[in-house]
Amino acid sequence: MNEPIDTGTTVLMVGNPNVGKSALFNRLTGANAVVSNYPGTTVDYTEGTLIEAHRTCTIIDVPGTYSLTPRDAAEEVAVRLLGEYPGAVVLLVLDATRIERGLYLALEVIERGVPCIIALNMTDAAHDKHISVDAAEMERVLGIPVIETTAISGEGVKQLAGMIRNAKAADISAISGRLNGDGAAEEMVALRSGCSGCGVCGR
Amino acid sequence: MRKKLSELAFGETGVVTEILASGRELNCMGLRKGKGLKMVTKQPIKGPVVVLIGEVEIAMGIRMAEQVTVETG
Repeated sequence: MNEPIDTGTTVLMVGNPNVGKSALFNRLTGANAVVSNYPGTTVDYTEGTLIEAHRTCTIIDVPGTYSLTPRDAAEEVAVRLLGEYPGAVVLLVLDATRIERGLYLALEVIERGVPCIIALNMTDAAHDKHISVDAAEMERVLGIPVIETTAISGEGVKQLAGMIRNAKAADISAISGRLNGDGAAEEMVALRSGCSGCGVCGR
Repeated sequence: MRKKLSELAFGETGVVTEILASGRELNCMGLRKGKGLKMVTKQPIKGPVVVLIGEVEIAMGIRMAEQVTVETG
């Protein structure tokens, strides 16, 4: 069998602590996961390989952080990793049950202009708590793909893996324009097909 | 009535009107101006304070809670 092609893409998994980043990481990378020590600190990050559609990319499980203004060593590592991989795709992992604080960090990352994709994790727990999150509307407002996942059961993980290559950078002023019902921004979005969120799924 | 977050009684609710210092730290946890919250736990001897905002509990030191002003009633 042919060797999978290395796309050379690096994916950084960024999110608040305890949102299931590592669970999702293990789902995405399977047995290929390796652990490495980050030099100079006591905090680890984990690196693994995702093979999807015969192509590979490197995934880094970044320590959880609440903001890009670091408050402790683990958060410092998270912020530094973002700086060290300027061309990397950022996989934002959000806890559907605590969506607001996740969005705070997500917007901080989006503001940096890096290509992003959102995994709306813990959808099972949200369902149990009767919390519903409108992923399609989030996709429309943010303009980046939003995939609902449940890392512990593996739901949505395959779809997420397939969508990573569709990650895209969003414009923060366009987001606020869409939130405030700005006509010009709406029109721009309407030019794209489907849900007008990311324009890649054809929905 | 306006009072410090640290002065809320157990189960008392209020709306955040002002964050005096290091607002950034609280903002990223979901505690912002205009948010409604409920006092969940206060510990004696200047212990930590836990408040409920929506479905999320946020814990903070008493010093930080003293710098948050809330409107009650």
